[in-house]
Amino acid sequence: MKNKILMGLTAIAMIAILASCGKKPQVEIDATNAAIEAAKAAEANVYLPDEFAAVQDSMNAIMADIEAQEGKLFKKFGDAKEKLASTSALANELASKVAAKKEAVKAEAETLLNDIKTVLAENSKLVPKLPRGKEGAAVIEQIKADLSNVDAAVVEAQTAYDNGAFMDALNKIKAAKAKADGLNAEIKEALTKARIRF
Amino acid sequence: MVKPWWHILFISGIALFITLSVFLLFYPVPPPPVSDMKYARETLALARENEADKYSGNLYREAWAYYDSAMANWRSENERFIYKRNYDKVVAFAELSSKKALQASETSLNNSTNLKINLQENLKDLDNLIKKINKSFYAYPLTSEVRNNISMGKMLARESRVAFNERNYLLAEEEIAKSKSLLTSSYDYANAHMRSYFKSFPQWKVWIDSTIAASQENHDYSIIIDKFSHKFFVYLDGEKISEFTAELGKNWVGDKKRRGDKATPEGMYRIVKKIEDDSTGYYKALLLDYPNAEDTINFRREKEKGSLSTAARIGEKIEIHGEGGKGADWTSGCIALRNIEIDSVFKYVGIGTPVTIVGSMYNLRQALNR
Repeated sequence: MKNKILMGLTAIAMIAILASCGKKPQVEIDATNAAIEAAKAAEANVYLPDEFAAVQDSMNAIMADIEAQEGKLFKKFGDAKEKLASTSALANELASKVAAKKEAVKAEAETLLNDIKTVLAENSKLVPKLPRGKEGAAVIEQIKADLSNVDAAVVEAQTAYDNGAFMDALNKIKAAKAKADGLNAEIKEALTKARIRF
Repeated sequence: MVKPWWHILFISGIALFITLSVFLLFYPVPPPPVSDMKYARETLALARENEADKYSGNLYREAWAYYDSAMANWRSENERFIYKRNYDKVVAFAELSSKKALQASETSLNNSTNLKINLQENLKDLDNLIKKINKSFYAYPLTSEVRNNISMGKMLARESRVAFNERNYLLAEEEIAKSKSLLTSSYDYANAHMRSYFKSFPQWKVWIDSTIAASQENHDYSIIIDKFSHKFFVYLDGEKISEFTAELGKNWVGDKKRRGDKATPEGMYRIVKKIEDDSTGYYKALLLDYPNAEDTINFRREKEKGSLSTAARIGEKIEIHGEGGKGADWTSGCIALRNIEIDSVFKYVGIGTPVTIVGSMYNLRQALNR
């Protein structure tokens, strides 16, 4: 009889142990969230938005899995722990990838900035060749206004670049390049119309 | 042997506990809303893929708010005793999240498509406006503020095209609006300015006809200067015999009002002096009888009306002189020709030769189409 009682008690104890052995992996959750925040701080959301969104999606799915386990009598967080580890690794990898992407964007911005400076130098050389005559003054005035606006756009882009906001700088530089190229085409068109060699 | 009462009580207790445990073990636990939440996440991902965060921001944010509420409720239900949990609210929030996310997806697709079509139209309109401005006002003396606005408008138009080509429709929309505002206001200003300028055309026409008629009747030379086309014409016997390019005062649009306004006067004048010595700093000069009686009357009237300050003085020493060919309107109100041209004019004209200066020899439509 004593043995039966002991067996019963053991079974109850095992149930209790099994029910409580799955403990929410809070440490791993916090670590993964920290890794995601670190990736965000490294501007992964700016430079690698799709990859960053994928990491966030994974985290959301894991949190839902964890809640699903929390709802069960016998909780198992082994799978969630594995997923958290891999998501955390992905977030860390993303943070390191951002540096490489930033370098690539920086290099592209730098190349474009140099290209713009070449176009601007060419524009400055072409302006004095613009046709004189009845339209000369106003045309030159208009082109000077255009040149000064392009210069302002380049300065703005350069400031963004100098401040390390390379993606923002790249977008600004692209726009400034379009402006400089457009102005260059305008000047060349005016020179061609006037049959002036350049 | 009879067992003690406490023994019976203990065994009964154990039996009751085991029965209860077995009952609870097999009692149906409410299933967690895993599939509903998964579907909500999938629809949210789809919405993001369709750029709902950009083109259907409110619905997308609502969808996320419902998802967050679902998660919060789920967490809160999980904290309750397992058999007392109720996931109905979680499911309801998840369903709302999915519904909103799908709506956001659809709205985003519609909005971005419509926006793209509108932007294409707007960009076309902007190009046409720029062409119109270039055609009508490229050489028209505008204030530096208006010229700068035109320049900025054109730059923004280019920027908006870059943004459009990169599918950044919201930025393109913003820049198109800014560009349109700058270009439209500049165009309206310049157009109104030009129309107001050409209001004097009937008067100019009378002066032109009278000058040509006088040249025909007197079998003599007359000069007509067309400020709008920057042309300097020499007539003999009512026929045009020479044509040069004239450079004018920096603010050549409109009549001269006062000394120092850098405007070239409009009116019928005569040459009063031929200057070939050092008293002109511009190679050779033909001094006009500006201000004539009409100019003086007009000046006094403007002062009386208060449109000119009491300190304002009437202009003087308006000449046709050399040193032109700079390709700009640079004089203080005089008419500049190239030295070779002033040499040629000097041969034809004498004291008393009529010089008529008009805004334009053609009406606005004709002038713009020339």
